Order: sequence, then C-alpha cells, then structure tokens
Amino acid sequence: MLLVPCPNCGPRNSADLRYGGESHARPDPATATPQQWRGYLYLRDNPAGWLRENWYCRSGCRRWFALERNTATNEFRNPPAPGDKRGGKA
Amino acid sequence: MAESPAFESPVVRSYEFSSGGPLMLTDASPTTKWLVRGEVGGAAAERLDAPFGSSRDAGGGALVLGSRPGEWIVLGPADAVASVVAGLDGLDSSEFLTALDWTHGRALFLVTGTDAPRMLEKVCSLDWSDAMTPDGAVASASVAKVTCDIARHDDDGTPAYMIFCDRSFGQYLFDALIDAGNEFGLSVGPAGP
Ligand SMILES: [Zn+2]
Repeated sequence: MLLVPCPNCGPRNSADLRYGGESHARPDPATATPQQWRGYLYLRDNPAGWLRENWYCRSGCRRWFALERNTATNEFRNPPAPGDKRGGKA
Repeated sequence: MAESPAFESPVVRSYEFSSGGPLMLTDASPTTKWLVRGEVGGAAAERLDAPFGSSRDAGGGALVLGSRPGEWIVLGPADAVASVVAGLDGLDSSEFLTALDWTHGRALFLVTGTDAPRMLEKVCSLDWSDAMTPDGAVASASVAKVTCDIARHDDDGTPAYMIFCDRSFGQYLFDALIDAGNEFGLSVGPAGP
C-alpha cells in the first residue's frame, strides 16, 4: 500500500486519491510553439528517482496538490503546507 | 415557494428491526442536512466555527461538521439547522458562499456500539482509534469504495458514527455495512431522524 501524505488529511491510502501524473508548468497557449505544446501534453520525463507529481485527494479533502516521490523507492517528500495553494494542476 | 416533496429514504429493502443490541445500524437519512461552502478563513468559516476535521454543537440539536477545507455540513432538527444557515445571510463578506439543502441528496446512517470502530476499520482505511479520531472528529474517506463524510458523535460514551454518502449509493452502502457488522452481532434499528 502507498501512503500518500495529503497536506490536509494526513497520510492516506493511495486508493483514496487519484494520481495526476508529472507536475509541469503549463506553457502560455498564446505564445507556446506547437513543439512546446506537444511536449507539455504528451512527453514525460519518467525518471527512476525523484519526480514532482500531482495527486487529487478524491475521497478526502478534494484538493489537488503536488509533491515529490521517488519512483524507485516510493518515498515521498516536500508535500505543501496545509492551505498552501502551491502545486496542483500547474 | 414550492413545498419540498416528501422524503424518501434510499434504503428501500425491508429488514428485521431490533430495538437494541451491542452494535446498531440505523437509517437516519430523513435528518435535515445542509451543505455550506465558503472560503477557508473567511467570515462564514469564523461564524460556523468548525475547522476541517472537527465538529461543533450549534444549539437546539444542530451540529456543524467541518467536512473539508471550506466546506461544512449542518444537520439536526429542521428549525435549528435553518437558524444556523440564516445566520450566514447577513455576513459582511465578499466571499463566494453557497448553502444548499442536501436532505434529499445524501443518505445518512448511524453506527453505534463499542465494536463500531473495529467494524469501520474493515471497510475504511482510516485509523478509528480514540487517539486519532476522538469524539467530535470528522473525516472524508472511502467506505466500502463509496466516498463518504464520517463524523464521530458518541452516544453517552459509546462510540457512534454518522456516515453520509450520495443517496444513489445508499442502499448499497447500507447492505455493505450490514455485511461488515455481521461478525460483531450488528442489528438494524428502525429508521428515523
Ligand atoms: Zn486530502
């Protein structure tokens, strides 16, 4: 079982959350090139190691948040502070 | 204003009722319940005075549950709930505030008994020990795969839990709770608010 540290609810079974994938800044659609837009939509870094990713606490607080997970060990670090709006669907 | 239609519980199957037992499950869906949404730290939050994860007795039998950040459930006798909700009307605040009568939209079940925490642990991954979820605690979590709001509101020292879910899942969840409670001698009490 993966215990995801939700900033509002505390450690939660990952079954209570929805995985939102890698957390990337969204380019400005007005100025992004098609290559940049395609990269944002489809290309992932997929590292074996630390990765910043989005999670949605669907059965708990219903908030999006971003934090780092080590994809090789499933350790988590740097969850946002409660009420901090950092992260989410950036 | 149009009259609200008569309340119909989502629990439509019939069960053999028992008036008492070590572990009781009761359908309390007709209880008046309102959903209030506002801003974390806003004027409504201050007035409702039940931060996320906690609950407060608002007088006249009404309870305010801090069910999510910036979200509250107000439940209890209709007039007591109405007076809590009416108190939000004159707030001096520019925040976007909604109050919605949720009575018909949500099922509400009560589980009461010393084995209630052990029964809940079978169907919900939260820690239901006294240290983590004492009397008055409120949480949202999956119960038998249904997203629910759960509030602990002990009955004279006996652990008691209110479980809210969307009414369309009500019948399923009621049966799932009976199934989870069977090994602890669960009995079904007559429905009522
Ligand atoms: Zn959460």
